[in-house]
Amino acid sequence: MTRVKLIGAWFGGVLLLAGVVGILESGAADVFLEATRPDFQKITLGVMGIHNAGGPDWLGGRIEEVLKKDVKRSLVFDLVDLPSLGVQTPDIGNGMGIGSKAVFKQAAEKGVSVLVWGKAGTKGKDKDADVNMEGFVYDSGSDELVGGKRYVGSTSVVRLMAHRFADELVFRYTGEPGIARTKIAYVAEQGAARELFVMDYDGHDTRQLTADGFLNLMPQWSPDRRFLIFTAYRNRNTQDIDMIELATGKRWTVISLGGLNITPALSPDGNFLAFASSHEGNSELYRLDTRTKAIQRLTVNPSGDLSPSWSPNGRELVFVSDRGGGPQLFLMGSDGSNVRRLTFEGDYNAAPVWSPRGNWIAYVCRTHREYKLCVISPDGQKRMQLTTGPGVDDSPSWSPDGRHLVFSSTSDGKSQIYMIDADGKDIERLTFQGTHNSAPSWSPAS
Amino acid sequence: MNKTLCTCSVALALSAALIGMPACSKKSVQSGGDSQSTQGTAKGDSSKSGVGSFPDTSIQSGGGGLRGLDKNPSEERLGSGTMLAKADPSGSVERQMDEVRAEEAASAVAGLRDVYFGYDSWTISEEGRQALTRDAEWMKSNPSTLVKVEGNCDERGTSAYNLVLGEKRAKAARNYLVELGVGANRLSVVSYGKERPLCNEHSESCYQQNRRGHLAVKTGK
Repeated sequence: MTRVKLIGAWFGGVLLLAGVVGILESGAADVFLEATRPDFQKITLGVMGIHNAGGPDWLGGRIEEVLKKDVKRSLVFDLVDLPSLGVQTPDIGNGMGIGSKAVFKQAAEKGVSVLVWGKAGTKGKDKDADVNMEGFVYDSGSDELVGGKRYVGSTSVVRLMAHRFADELVFRYTGEPGIARTKIAYVAEQGAARELFVMDYDGHDTRQLTADGFLNLMPQWSPDRRFLIFTAYRNRNTQDIDMIELATGKRWTVISLGGLNITPALSPDGNFLAFASSHEGNSELYRLDTRTKAIQRLTVNPSGDLSPSWSPNGRELVFVSDRGGGPQLFLMGSDGSNVRRLTFEGDYNAAPVWSPRGNWIAYVCRTHREYKLCVISPDGQKRMQLTTGPGVDDSPSWSPDGRHLVFSSTSDGKSQIYMIDADGKDIERLTFQGTHNSAPSWSPAS
Repeated sequence: MNKTLCTCSVALALSAALIGMPACSKKSVQSGGDSQSTQGTAKGDSSKSGVGSFPDTSIQSGGGGLRGLDKNPSEERLGSGTMLAKADPSGSVERQMDEVRAEEAASAVAGLRDVYFGYDSWTISEEGRQALTRDAEWMKSNPSTLVKVEGNCDERGTSAYNLVLGEKRAKAARNYLVELGVGANRLSVVSYGKERPLCNEHSESCYQQNRRGHLAVKTGK
């Protein structure tokens, strides 16, 4: 590679470092990792209720339940329980009636910044009737009805209505799309086989995508959410990298170089595929230009190199190499330049994933034969263990807002999938069925 | 960068092409485990074999259709979100199971012995050498047979690194067989990492059973 590229990569590294140092120096508490801006304060929000307006009597309650969970998971809002604060929650219609003012005043006095309410119902008794949902939002800071949403659809999209409304709330208050409509791809055991599945980010609506009867592993999403890229076994004896188009189920092989072809990762702009292949002897990292099909070899080392993950600006990769003995994390430019070691604690560090916010790399760290989740800053200065306890934790994957990780754990006996806040505070179990659920991968936001 | 317009039309063209040419998907060349390597750094030539077609996967639009809160919201009709095609049960599952059973049967008849490994290790132990010596004898007496060595790991560690560790184990066993005089072209290697365990208990004895190089007679293709 040329001097220009080397210098460019070095500059990229310096800028990244400067960015990270900037965040760390702004007064963030050392103990807790701030998954968003260090001075981010959660916005207090109360859901007054989603009232039934005709139709099945589970309707309003279902939307309300899903909405509240989405709001809580967003980590943008502090979801308050209005009754226990002493705030009345009558049905105030569209919020413009006289009775509403008193409610709003009460909420403001109790420090609730945002009030959300709505109604949902079907027209008529026909079981295929459309559901209509209306949601309203009041902001006490500006003492304003800031707006709402109206959704219509079949009963099968009732959860989606709640998810979409939650995402609109997050968008309104942060300028970023929420994660309530994101999906998680994963691998589930089916007898002796392991197949690709997709589920909603809250564990609902699981769908099977492959039925090959053997092994389909480590799915990753394309940036446009239309495809999954994964390792597939052809005839059980060769490992290729395949793609599957979610909308059609169409499936084809993109990398078939002999030996292992594993750990594929598309760059954030979709222009490159980083992957590991052992077709030249031992597992090395390569980069495919998806437009020209040119393959560039990134590592040249008698050790095993694998598990690349892109920085959000696409200029760097974090990866695993056992060139120092056991697996450790390394960084390099996305053209293979400027390789330097990142992890120095522990004798086994693997499965790195770079946060979409750029400020943390999550990975699997081992101490005393226990495999847990850790995070490290890209400059290596800050490191924290997120999980403890029994079981093998594996395959972390970041939410697109960088506030959560999804991962697998055998802590409950069988391998299941869990979600955890990026500062390790709350764990939520997502899968409950099956004998082995693993390799979760969180979709980009839409 | 000004490529959004370009990207969209390329995406459209590619989608049209992909829909119209399903045959494209099967064309990638595959080479065996130890075959000659491609020159990784050369552009152009090397990329023709082993690389399939690639759709444009760059980001199409931001904001995801979120329209913001409206004081006078119009009605949004919601479809079922991300379309997901159902898996096509093409009979592949039964076929795989039949083929695996056929291999197991042939391997049982041959009496091929497995090799076991220590934690984190791909070193062949004394017992391993003895097992492989017997396997090599069988292979030399049955010169037309092909054998694959499947590398496996216990459940500890990451899925990805265990694929690499499994390959190291399989290659170590294969290399020893070659040292003993078995033709290298009769041996292939594959790694299943920790994805095809023999047992599921979280015990040392189960872990030991899973840290194995399994030899299987190749039947059929």
